[in-house]
Amino acid sequence: MLNANDPSGRPHWLQVLTIGRRPKTTLIRIAVLVVVCIVTFKFILLPIRVDGISMLPTYHTGQINCINRLAYLRHEPQRGDIVSVRLSEPGGLANPSILYMKRIIGLPGETVAFHGGRAFINGEPLDEPYVKFSCDWEHAPIVCGPDQFYVVGDNRSMPFDFHTQGRAERNRIVGKLLL
Amino acid sequence: MKIAVRLMLLAAAAALGFWCWTILFPSPEKLVLKKISSLASTATIVASDGNITRATKVSNLIGYFAVDAEIHFDVTGYPAHTLSGRDEIREAAAGAFTSLTTLNVQFLDVTVRLGADKLTADVSCTAKVNAGDSKDFGVQEMHFQLKKVEGDWLITKVKTVKTLS
Repeated sequence: MLNANDPSGRPHWLQVLTIGRRPKTTLIRIAVLVVVCIVTFKFILLPIRVDGISMLPTYHTGQINCINRLAYLRHEPQRGDIVSVRLSEPGGLANPSILYMKRIIGLPGETVAFHGGRAFINGEPLDEPYVKFSCDWEHAPIVCGPDQFYVVGDNRSMPFDFHTQGRAERNRIVGKLLL
Repeated sequence: MKIAVRLMLLAAAAALGFWCWTILFPSPEKLVLKKISSLASTATIVASDGNITRATKVSNLIGYFAVDAEIHFDVTGYPAHTLSGRDEIREAAAGAFTSLTTLNVQFLDVTVRLGADKLTADVSCTAKVNAGDSKDFGVQEMHFQLKKVEGDWLITKVKTVKTLS
């Protein structure tokens, strides 16, 4: 769109605003941006919306976050990491619709138990500054397999039986929370 | 130029034919997926559903199951139990549909695996359930087994799977 009244032949201000001075360059930029977004949000960062109370007070319902799917390419998940665990069967490129969001407290081969509301790893009490709500959880020791991580939420104020927790297979851990 | 147009028309006709073929003769995987999706719709009730609608939905729901179907529930916080046969499933469904004002069931991330004989299928999915007026919802990994009986896919076994052991 050229401004007929403009003798200099400059493009119309509306054209500059919408598709830029050089439309071809703008199109290439848009294409690159779309590709970068698709690759980023399909294979690297998985956007999520938190729903539920099990990670209170660290995360609450409605918060937006991202899961870094590449976090465990170079190293295995660590104790204290907040991870997402897929419910649907592992495998395939499709991102799962619903994920559990939990904190890792037990590593492969370790024994996890709860006494008087405190978590014990291999019989030693675990320091958990992120747990703000006290509880009276009691649970016999559970041994993690060579490929299992014990995951639990930060909100321990709910009864043990109603709090979804336990051993997650490594291949179900999608990634680590970004923020 | 004419040849190019003809080739394009031919390709479009072939694509249309293929699309019609998939609509008229869907693959067994598609039929199973449709069945699972339809099961979720049938199991969903809204507050405006009257007693007759709910009773109809119960009888429709039973139609998805084989005569000897079994449902094994083992959900966190509740004792494990099993429903065997259509009568027990009907009774449980009727009880749930009567006591709940609303029930919203969705099956997400559905994966279908057909048996070698193409007469059986395993389905894995994540169930998302909202009950009553609560905004909170429950999620549960589920496993279905289906078999083809007289051209129709019927559920023979439903099992809840514990994601975290």
